[in-house]
Amino acid sequence: MIFNEIYSAYYNTVAKIIGEILNGNTSDADLNKIVTENAFGESMLNIMPAIKSEKWQLVKSDLTTPIKHIPTMPLTLIQKQWIKAILSDPRIKLFGIDTDALLDVTPLFTSDDYFIYDKYSDGDPYDDEKYIAHFKTILEAMNTGKNLKIEMTSRHGKTVYARCVPKRLEYSEKDDKFRLVTSGCRFIRTINIARITKCNIYNGDTQIEADDPQTAYDTVTLKVSEERNTLERCMLHFAHFQKRAERFDGYYLLHIRFDKDDEPEMVIRVLSFGPMVEVVSSDRFKGLIIDKLTKQKLCGLL
Amino acid sequence: MSSYSELVKNFEKIRELMREFYVYGFKRRDEYDKKSSRSYDDERRRLESWLGDYMSFAQTPEGKNIFISIDSRVSRHNPFYKALKSKSFTDGDITLHFILFDILDSPKTVLSLPQILAELDTYLSEFKSPMLFDESTVRKKLKEYTSLGIIGAEKSGRRLVYRRSDDAALPKMNDALSFYSEVAPCGVIGSFLLDKQSEKRDNFSFKHHYITSAMDSGVLAALFTAMQKKCIVTVTNTSRHSSESHKNRIIPLRIFISVQNGRQHLLAYQPDFNEIKSFRVDYLSDVKIEEPTPRFDELRSELDKMQSKMWGVTANGKLYGKESLEHVEFTVKVAEGEAHIIQRLMREKRIGTVLKTGDNTYRFCAEVYDTNEMIPWIRTFICRITELNFSNMGVQEQFKRDIEKMYRIYGIEEAAK
Repeated sequence: MIFNEIYSAYYNTVAKIIGEILNGNTSDADLNKIVTENAFGESMLNIMPAIKSEKWQLVKSDLTTPIKHIPTMPLTLIQKQWIKAILSDPRIKLFGIDTDALLDVTPLFTSDDYFIYDKYSDGDPYDDEKYIAHFKTILEAMNTGKNLKIEMTSRHGKTVYARCVPKRLEYSEKDDKFRLVTSGCRFIRTINIARITKCNIYNGDTQIEADDPQTAYDTVTLKVSEERNTLERCMLHFAHFQKRAERFDGYYLLHIRFDKDDEPEMVIRVLSFGPMVEVVSSDRFKGLIIDKLTKQKLCGLL
Repeated sequence: MSSYSELVKNFEKIRELMREFYVYGFKRRDEYDKKSSRSYDDERRRLESWLGDYMSFAQTPEGKNIFISIDSRVSRHNPFYKALKSKSFTDGDITLHFILFDILDSPKTVLSLPQILAELDTYLSEFKSPMLFDESTVRKKLKEYTSLGIIGAEKSGRRLVYRRSDDAALPKMNDALSFYSEVAPCGVIGSFLLDKQSEKRDNFSFKHHYITSAMDSGVLAALFTAMQKKCIVTVTNTSRHSSESHKNRIIPLRIFISVQNGRQHLLAYQPDFNEIKSFRVDYLSDVKIEEPTPRFDELRSELDKMQSKMWGVTANGKLYGKESLEHVEFTVKVAEGEAHIIQRLMREKRIGTVLKTGDNTYRFCAEVYDTNEMIPWIRTFICRITELNFSNMGVQEQFKRDIEKMYRIYGIEEAAK
């Protein structure tokens, strides 16, 4: 159903090549570029030779084609069903999309068919008109290369102003929150969308110097025990990080690279594995775990 | 001798290997014992071809380890989707595909099979050695495309005629596709749609983003289809911990998705045992949709009732029997200026209640089917847990022993002396 050649990188690439030829461009360099950009690492060895040798009878060896129209394909049923399903999602309002499309299509799934059981319950207010308006303004700014003027409430309850270049919207599935990653504002790198009180496109004269927001990384090394299926649980839990694992006699070492700003969260994530996961380095990270345990000892639980 | 191709016919073959490389990544070539060494080499080469920069190598004294390392916060699109775009095909398949849609260039063009065959010959006659397609091959392809919904077939008198399906009038949704292709179930379908967009936008990135579920998209789509039709399914269940596969005939009720470990479970009713139980979706394959069942709504509402007592994916054992519930209670101390801890308790508790029990103490209470599922969460409050009261004494004692062990590991006792 999903694993079908009609969705394949090869079919998409060939469609683009035929389109390019129909538009009068038969330059080898340009056609090869289409392959590099749309297919896989070794596709260059397959696609153009198959076309030029008439193995696939779509383009003749002189790079003319009997195909008359730029290739297109209607949406498949499952594509329509998936779109229909996302049109019922509460976050769809953020995109200003008319949800009345595909009236005669049954959705692939509804909210009754799946349940995200460990998402935090204080997610962003997707029904709030102001939130929706701010989100749309941010998207518009990103799509048109404009800057933003933002007023927001800080964590400490103070009103803060920022003029910035919107770089990207970062969504956390666990927190169910959007944050705007910005540049050009010295004091603010990320802004929780829900904290924004006013958001407008900035048309003023002040030049905003955009830079690429750089992430500062740290690495933690964990000694992972083989007990209680810890290895699998740990590997899956930390799967979304850049990481490397090594095996030793009776244990594993897992090196994980993480954003320094997320250190408090990483500490409690490591703690959640109990004694089956031990911090080997860094000393700083280990110190944070020791601090938590020392405080726990003072709680007199045991 | 079969030659290597970067495309694959059967996705199941590579599904497990990809997960092994990504999730684990410390296995050597000789440990992938299920496959022949040439097959291993071919599959490794395919992964390199699809995932390029994400493939890494580490030389250890025992040999070379290959692993996939992806920081999904940096990568804007799930790299594993590429694997789902690698289906192999024959020279005839691709030739027929593009010519058929050129012949049926608009929904207004309506042709019978003989007319399509005649047109097809005209196209192919331009080549030096024209391919030959017999009637049954073309009919089969048209039938396949009809079932995919891209070609419409209708009767015209006694003949069957074909036309391309209408293009759905869709709103402009490039940003929505970029977002939902990463966060919605079966997001790879959104990625297929994005492939057709001329304007590329990358306005979104994702934190805490688990991407391995991409490999289970086919299984998930089949399970959703079965649930929409309220049907029974037969699935093959192969655990990593056992080499044996089991066929299960079950009624799928709901997919449980974790955004804290990336696992997906199917909660399903197993008639043979009269129980609702969970199945790891990554262990399932070969979903066969069977007949509809009149019990679907009743069973799903049973699951709805159970959910207020489920921390994770463990449901009540037997249906309609006595509920076997466990009491879980723990108290934490919260100092002044630590309002965020109370916020954490409130937003992270999925079930149960939080009560203020003193000036600086808060108590969480819940009745659950399985205390064990809650332990990792309770451990995240280490540094402030003052009381525990579990009805499952075995789990409570284990929890305390684990804390003692952590004190020993980190030398807390020595430090305290």
